[in-house]
Amino acid sequence: MAAGDKEILKGVNLTIPDNEVHSLFGPNGSGKSVLISAIMGYPEYEVTSGEILFKGKNINKLSIDERVRLGLGISEQRPPTIKGVKLRRLIEILAPEKMREKTLEKELQQKFDMEKFLDRDINDGLSGGEIKKSELFLLLMKKPDFLILDEPDSGVDPEHLKNIGEMINEILQNKDSGKNGLVVTHSAAILDYIHTDKAHVMLDGKIHCSGNPVVMMEQIRKNGYKYCITCQNRNGRDCI
Amino acid sequence: MKQLSDNEMKNMIQFGAKKVDFSEYGGVSDNGGSFNSFAGLSLDKNEKGSLKSVGFNFSGNPEPGKFLMYGADIYHSAPCIPGVEILPLREALLFYPEIKEKYYFRAVDKDQDEFTRLASEKERNGYFIRVRKDIKVEVPLHTAMFMRHEMGTMCLHNIVVLEDGASLHLVTGCASECHLTGGLHVAVTENFIGRGARLTSTMIHDWGPQFVVRPRTATIVGDEGVYVSNYYSVKPAGDIQMNPFTRLEGKNSSAKYMTVIASFENTYSNIGGTVLMSGENSSAELISRAVNYGGTVVQTGLLIGAAKDARAHVDCSGLMLTDSGIIEAVPGLRAMHPDAKMSHEAAIGRINKGEVNYLQSKGLEEMQAVALIIRGFLDIGIDSEGLDTELEKTISRMAELSGHDPS
Repeated sequence: MAAGDKEILKGVNLTIPDNEVHSLFGPNGSGKSVLISAIMGYPEYEVTSGEILFKGKNINKLSIDERVRLGLGISEQRPPTIKGVKLRRLIEILAPEKMREKTLEKELQQKFDMEKFLDRDINDGLSGGEIKKSELFLLLMKKPDFLILDEPDSGVDPEHLKNIGEMINEILQNKDSGKNGLVVTHSAAILDYIHTDKAHVMLDGKIHCSGNPVVMMEQIRKNGYKYCITCQNRNGRDCI
Repeated sequence: MKQLSDNEMKNMIQFGAKKVDFSEYGGVSDNGGSFNSFAGLSLDKNEKGSLKSVGFNFSGNPEPGKFLMYGADIYHSAPCIPGVEILPLREALLFYPEIKEKYYFRAVDKDQDEFTRLASEKERNGYFIRVRKDIKVEVPLHTAMFMRHEMGTMCLHNIVVLEDGASLHLVTGCASECHLTGGLHVAVTENFIGRGARLTSTMIHDWGPQFVVRPRTATIVGDEGVYVSNYYSVKPAGDIQMNPFTRLEGKNSSAKYMTVIASFENTYSNIGGTVLMSGENSSAELISRAVNYGGTVVQTGLLIGAAKDARAHVDCSGLMLTDSGIIEAVPGLRAMHPDAKMSHEAAIGRINKGEVNYLQSKGLEEMQAVALIIRGFLDIGIDSEGLDTELEKTISRMAELSGHDPS
């Protein structure tokens, strides 16, 4: 993966099997957001070699929206503000027919206290936690087959983190295809509220090691990423 | 670096509205017939469609009456609301001789330019609308000006009077028969807004590619009066220049101009607005949005603070949707009183690719995303309540015209 002439990801090999949700840890600047930008197909990054496979299909050449139609969905860390476009309007466009049933949509709006955001411009003047809620609510409307969460806990106060966790679990539930996703986080705070099956640590554009999310989270919380840097379990091997 | 063509270089030097040669157009015909019913009017499908696209619908909202200038002829229906009058101006001048003294060329200077002189010398017809004291008209009153003849001249004169405490939403559509390519449209409009009265004027233009359009509008607002001017240019004329002038003479009076322009190749749109705030604590806001598909747009605004506690803000923004074309934003402020508080902003640029990517990541196709962003850009809070759904569709069409590559 490169941005212009600069190589950012250096031979990432990551597999997320069906019905698993993985977490991706790493310090700021390690390449986590670039990896998910590559998976989503954002054009500022170029895949210089390798394949991104989803549902057995190479999606390297698909546009962003084609990937979304195939089943990917993302909650961004810092989404743009779109002046003049109300969140309600975007929901009306995105919501599949079943979500147009007013009662169901209303129920979800009330459950997650979203009504006050619907007639505001998308992401305009929202706090960190409100942005996460808005992003997750849009995903709730789509229920993607593979959920990508970019730092769902950043800028969210502890009081609202539980609510964010509930929204994520709601999205992951009731999928015929099973729970499937990648949660990118450098603080790992969200993992107190959602279950992930496996964790990976990314350092300097590479998957440094993988392992049990709880064990790895404890190590990181206790010792910081410097532990991972000095750890001997390199090259994607399991963290002990 | 972009290489400028000879024409573009010439435009840099001769930037401005074209000088109108009246001899290129059919002369101003005599004022035509006046009919107080639409029963005798026969329109074909295209004509009906053109009128609908500028908000004029024959079937809806009969209560406040309707007015159509169809070439030189006038068709109008009487309002069912007591205290509301719609008359052809020439008839109104006969019925109410005082109009000449109180209103006729009292807001617009008849010697302002060759266009006001044309309307004055030819004693042009148009509408006279009056809403009597404290009458509040709840539904929009629709009027339309429809040009029918290739390279013809339409010249008209309108007067709107809102007495103290009255309110009205006036929707005026100006359009040409869809097969016409050119013509000259001159319109003098004078609005008088009494104490505590409120006039919302929504104007929608849909013209052929070589039309030359010269509206000349002036408004006088009394104490506590409110004037809201909404302007949509859906299909711009080849050359339009207008700079409606509002005088906020009354204490606590206010004016708001909201302008939405779509500009296409080989068109010139110079859409301005000037507000003189001479009333104490008066306020003015001018918001202009332009989406440019290759034409030339000049967004001007001049707000003049000439009274204690006058407040003003002007905001001109433009989106360049193609590699050609020009947008020039000239937000102007002039303070003539030390207590005037005034501000301005202007921004011109492309569509933000990050916003397009974001909406695609939510599942919208690229063109859907672009159209939604443009629709949002053009949404400047114009209250469309009560407007015909056809007009809503027309506005949406401005965003849907974005068949371009935003990369």
